[in-house]
Amino acid sequence: MILFENVVKQYPTQNRPALDDVSLEVEKGEFVFLVGASGSGKSTFLRLVLKEETPNKGRVWVAGKDLGRLSNWKIPQLRRRIGTVFQDFRLLPNKTVFDNVAFALEVIGKSRGQVQRIVPEVLDLVGLEGKEHRMPDELSGGEQQRVAIARAFVNKPAILIADEPTGNLDPSTSEGIMKLLERINRTGTTVVMATHDAAIVNQMRKRVIELEQGHLVRDQSRGVYGYSR
Amino acid sequence: MQTRFVFSEVGNGLRRNLTMTVAVIITVGVSLALFGVSLLVRSQVDTMKDFWYDKVEVSIFLCNDNSETASCAGGKITEAQKEQIQADLESLKPLVQEIYFETQQEAYDRFIVQYRNSPIIDSVTVEALPESFRVKLSDPTQYDIVASAFEGRPGVEQVNDQRQFLEKFFQLLGGLQAIALVIALAMLVVTVLLIVNTMRVAAFSRRRETGIMRLVGASNFYIQLPFLAEAAIAAAVGATIATGGLVLVKIFVIDRVLAPAFQFTAFVGWEAVWAIVPILFLTGIALACLAAFLTLRKYLRV
Repeated sequence: MILFENVVKQYPTQNRPALDDVSLEVEKGEFVFLVGASGSGKSTFLRLVLKEETPNKGRVWVAGKDLGRLSNWKIPQLRRRIGTVFQDFRLLPNKTVFDNVAFALEVIGKSRGQVQRIVPEVLDLVGLEGKEHRMPDELSGGEQQRVAIARAFVNKPAILIADEPTGNLDPSTSEGIMKLLERINRTGTTVVMATHDAAIVNQMRKRVIELEQGHLVRDQSRGVYGYSR
Repeated sequence: MQTRFVFSEVGNGLRRNLTMTVAVIITVGVSLALFGVSLLVRSQVDTMKDFWYDKVEVSIFLCNDNSETASCAGGKITEAQKEQIQADLESLKPLVQEIYFETQQEAYDRFIVQYRNSPIIDSVTVEALPESFRVKLSDPTQYDIVASAFEGRPGVEQVNDQRQFLEKFFQLLGGLQAIALVIALAMLVVTVLLIVNTMRVAAFSRRRETGIMRLVGASNFYIQLPFLAEAAIAAAVGATIATGGLVLVKIFVIDRVLAPAFQFTAFVGWEAVWAIVPILFLTGIALACLAAFLTLRKYLRV
């Protein structure tokens, strides 16, 4: 599903590559934790998957496509197959829960009927039934992140990318979010989650990929957060 | 494509950026109005050229007793010389369209009418004015052919082309038009810069929405469409204002002031105004969309 071949990413203003000769593969339906200190290259990895950045060397394959050969106007198609969730939720504050999720469908041109049918289903799945007409600032952090996950998942993407989704949440709320991500993973969606949350990683026992200063230093199935903490 | 969705985005955008939108509308309006006026001046010049070139004549003034030109050394023109000129003019057809001989009495009558408010008429006598051939050309620009044939010939005092006087007048109008055009172009540049800036502010204030749109895979076109539509709508409103300005100029300046004051000439009609209006709309909308598109390419990158 995601394949990195000797990927080097060097930002012009920095003297050390953000990613240095990284090769790895994530299979369809896997659940992968991406761990490492700040600046280790986790975000760069995720940005390369989304083709927000292009590598200086090496190749990136996502969902069967060689991103180096993907023309710019096809990038939106790629991103429709990838759901994204962030630490800061990134909801639209002036839209209701329903409209925030519907937004993802509307901007790719889905009909009103489809929107009316799909959005309640997804809100149901993430456990927000009955809160469709709330505004984001009326919700708790965990609920806001559920809205964000609903929006990321509403297109039924092949891959879900989560960049520290529990970074702003307390442990028990985080647990709920992890259960939700696991449920989404069980529908066949590949989940890649960057995190600093050792407790979650240790508890879930999923594949762990560790980056350190741009190098891949550990790739372990059913791994733990690490020894460095 | 969800038109309802795009329209609601456009409405939101225009409201949120109301002051900038108003600024864009006004600058577009003013600059397009100036642009329109300069186009109107040009079509006025064309109208006057059509009107006057149809009427201009080449005058061949003939010697009388008190002429002082070298070619008049023989004194007043003889009948034989007159007949020769008449015959030579006839041979220049079809360039020479009409030939009219003006007697001293006719010249005097015309002079009296033209200078009826001037004291000069008291000192002019019928004998003081020259006889002349008034020649109308099928192509007024071919004046030189007539001039070279008759200038300096014995009995001909002077060959005079009215068109040359008009040319000077038209040059003045052309200069005015050039000034209006330069101001209009400067204003259009200001407008483009203002639109660029407005779009930058708009793109910045909506970076959250556009960022999310990109993430969920909205196409570039779809992300940019509301911005382009906003620019186009603002430009269209501005062009409407400019059209109103042009209509006011036509009614109050041309029809109410200029036309009554200068009854001897023709002024542009409404068809000239209506011909300019689509140009204003196209220019305004095209410029706005182009400015917006180029800005957004930079600020709403994939």
